[in-house]
Amino acid sequence: MTDSILSSLDRINAKYSMFRSMTSCTEMGESGFLFSAKDNLTSSDMETCCGSRILEGYHPAFDATAIAKMRDAGGKLIGKTNMDEFGFGTFSSNSAFGIPKNPFDLERSCGGSSGGSACAAAVIEDHVSLGVSTGGSICCPASFCGVYGIAPTYGRVSRYGLIDYGNSLDKIGLLSADPKKLSKYLPIISGKDEKDPTSCVQPDLKTEHRRIKSVAIPREATVGISKDVGSAFSDATEILKSMGIDVDYVDMPALKFAMPAYYILATSEASTNLARYVGMRYGQQDGDLSLKFDDYFTSFRSEYFGDEAKRRILLGTYTRMAGFRDRYYAKALKVRMYVIDAYKQIFADHDAVLTPTMPFVSPRFDDISEMSPVDVYKADYLTVPANLSGTPHLSVPCGYDGNGMPIGMQFVTDHWNEDYLLTMAEDWDRSFDVRRAEVVL
Amino acid sequence: MKIGLEIHVQLPTKSKMFCSCPTTDADAPNTHVCPTCLGMPGSRPVLNRRALEYGIMLAKMLNCTIAETTWFSRKTYFYPDMSKSVQITQYDNPVGEKGMYYLNGKTPIRITRIHLEEDPGKTKRVGDQSSLVDYNRSGIPLAEIVTEPDLKTPAEAREFLGQLIADIRHVIDLPGDGERSIRCDCNLSVGKERCEVKNVTGLKNVERALTFEMIRQTKVLKAGGKVERETRRFDEERGVTVSVRKKEMESDYGYIDEPDLGVYHIGKLSESITIGESPLKMTLRLSEEYDIDGKTAKQLVSTSMDLANLFERIAEASDAKTALTWTTGPIAANWKAFEQRCGDPSEIVKIVKRFKEGEITDTECSLELKSFMTGADPADIESSSADLDALIGEYLEQNPEVAEDARKNDKAANRIIGYVMKKTGGAYSSSDIVAATKKALNSEK
Repeated sequence: MTDSILSSLDRINAKYSMFRSMTSCTEMGESGFLFSAKDNLTSSDMETCCGSRILEGYHPAFDATAIAKMRDAGGKLIGKTNMDEFGFGTFSSNSAFGIPKNPFDLERSCGGSSGGSACAAAVIEDHVSLGVSTGGSICCPASFCGVYGIAPTYGRVSRYGLIDYGNSLDKIGLLSADPKKLSKYLPIISGKDEKDPTSCVQPDLKTEHRRIKSVAIPREATVGISKDVGSAFSDATEILKSMGIDVDYVDMPALKFAMPAYYILATSEASTNLARYVGMRYGQQDGDLSLKFDDYFTSFRSEYFGDEAKRRILLGTYTRMAGFRDRYYAKALKVRMYVIDAYKQIFADHDAVLTPTMPFVSPRFDDISEMSPVDVYKADYLTVPANLSGTPHLSVPCGYDGNGMPIGMQFVTDHWNEDYLLTMAEDWDRSFDVRRAEVVL
Repeated sequence: MKIGLEIHVQLPTKSKMFCSCPTTDADAPNTHVCPTCLGMPGSRPVLNRRALEYGIMLAKMLNCTIAETTWFSRKTYFYPDMSKSVQITQYDNPVGEKGMYYLNGKTPIRITRIHLEEDPGKTKRVGDQSSLVDYNRSGIPLAEIVTEPDLKTPAEAREFLGQLIADIRHVIDLPGDGERSIRCDCNLSVGKERCEVKNVTGLKNVERALTFEMIRQTKVLKAGGKVERETRRFDEERGVTVSVRKKEMESDYGYIDEPDLGVYHIGKLSESITIGESPLKMTLRLSEEYDIDGKTAKQLVSTSMDLANLFERIAEASDAKTALTWTTGPIAANWKAFEQRCGDPSEIVKIVKRFKEGEITDTECSLELKSFMTGADPADIESSSADLDALIGEYLEQNPEVAEDARKNDKAANRIIGYVMKKTGGAYSSSDIVAATKKALNSEK
């Protein structure tokens, strides 16, 4: 079966555009399984360009630790998945290299920014894909494509080789249609890595199959969601109760502060991370060398960054400017602590916080083009808080709307408690009838 | 007039600040580099703990308040030699703040802060149209010491810097060519607005650059003009400062915390670090404790701190005056040879003690010291020293005006040295000749 997948990759990609680059090798060889990785994880044997023209042609000298660990475990990297440029987006529509198409409806988005990974997980049999979440980029596409997605605790998986969006927020996780693959591969990619100091403070990932016994649903998270999402979510809570899980409603006013704090921190960090792309040393380097260096840098960045990247560079540069730094950046750091606190208070009495993953099902591309940037940012309001607080979270398919589009719900547990989520995903898969998209090539 | 300095010291770590590339000189450009110091996407910094320790040592030396927690920040600016367009430096909570340094042990110079940062690479102009970039230096650890504008004159600034470098060299074991690893940004204001002269290397150049700036600003003000706040560069060959750019305000760098590195709790680490007495402090202490003049104390310490330590041991075994005579005389004269032989200084203490207790005469003492310190046969020394004495005696007798001069002025001995060197073909060291001359002059009295 795996050989037939390898030989049909071109055709799969022609239909769904989930890959930016793919292996040309059609033989499994010694490999035990296939996996794909988001195109912001460096791979020594495949171009890595983060959905950006500015990195077109970049062949990294080293493998990201997560990719290296998957390879060591016998994995064969089949492709680098399409994404919003540097992770800047919710629909994977901000890629310079085509937009991945939803397996349930090709006119709709896969979600983002790990849209290509979710698409691969939904379309390719027996597949697991490495995704990256900064503000919801694993759970959102998992929800839109009807698959499972887990973003572990910040620091659980080494970020060495992850091309940064917001370093204090970025987390590497997994997407798959099969929850057992999350349980199998999360321990493989986790662990301390001396090349990433933020991975070195973690306690061991224990897989003891601990079960979530109680969930808290913040009332704030049930406002502003579509009717279809609301009713699917409410049906899903009944299933949870039938599984013996207590479901409580709580107030969590901190949720509404997470969004502005997140965008300030993420864009502040992003604007410094993107400063290195000046057309020297790697990626595109074909600018006019007769220019003075700063004019060269400017012309290059103007030419090769996409609109959303430019918007976030401007936002992030503004929020860390003199006179604004305290008002925005420094305050956002405090809000982050406040949100973490709010979670901790709930975790004192509950094992998890539960919300829908996205407020609506995947929108059609023509509707997306009508949305303002702020409308798009707001769509992340349910996934952003867990990302801001660095707490692990999981999206599971929990229903389908009238058009058959998948709906997801999201569990958030306390730091380092991924075990609860992994068990939950497997239990849920036995209690709920998850649909697979029909793949006709 | 106000002068403040920002002094960049390269810290003598074996590997770079945030990666394991070596800090030694490379044979070719861009060979001591890796993804991290080249700023390749996906690479990450890992702090070299030794750099942090050096920072703490310097902060202690400068009597700074040492932070309980310290962390790094990102300073964003665009320049080809800055591989990430982001420099990892310290902004909030640097290693040390609010320090004090006493120039000549007296004049207080306030230290604003000391922080750690990485060095950028180097650009090299090639012809008119292009430059080359070498990233071998990218990521070398630096400590930046910032003073308050407490220095009054260019000469004072030079003196301060000289003392500071000597102290730094002692505290963190900088290599002998440490001066090239120290760069200085010089801020000077004659009126209200200040100018910064970037990247001046060497004590002499610091004084030259500041003097030029002082005169330039004075002229501008006298002509009724206004000094503009700007960054300038020192042209070593022409001895002038040249405007580079109008100064961006510090805050335009848009500092944020470096998210890839954590918060370092250095309270305990700092407690565990002790630093030795600095040369300056030792000079002042010796001068006070043993009642010797400042110049002699300084000479003793600057020859070698080990020699100064030996002086203290001899003083303990005998008395300060005896110790001083012998340490600055025959012991200093043979010190280099002794250091090369890695001898045991306790033996020296014993020899002088025997002299003090009257067991040996001063000629015998001198002979024994020289023999022990250089490893030469006493008989050879005796005969050659007798030859030298004879030669000098003869010369002084024939040139009474030189003898007269030499009594008043140490420099007159140069003529005697020249004479003996010529006569013997350099068989005697100049320190031996000076010692013999002194002996001859004293015996004449």
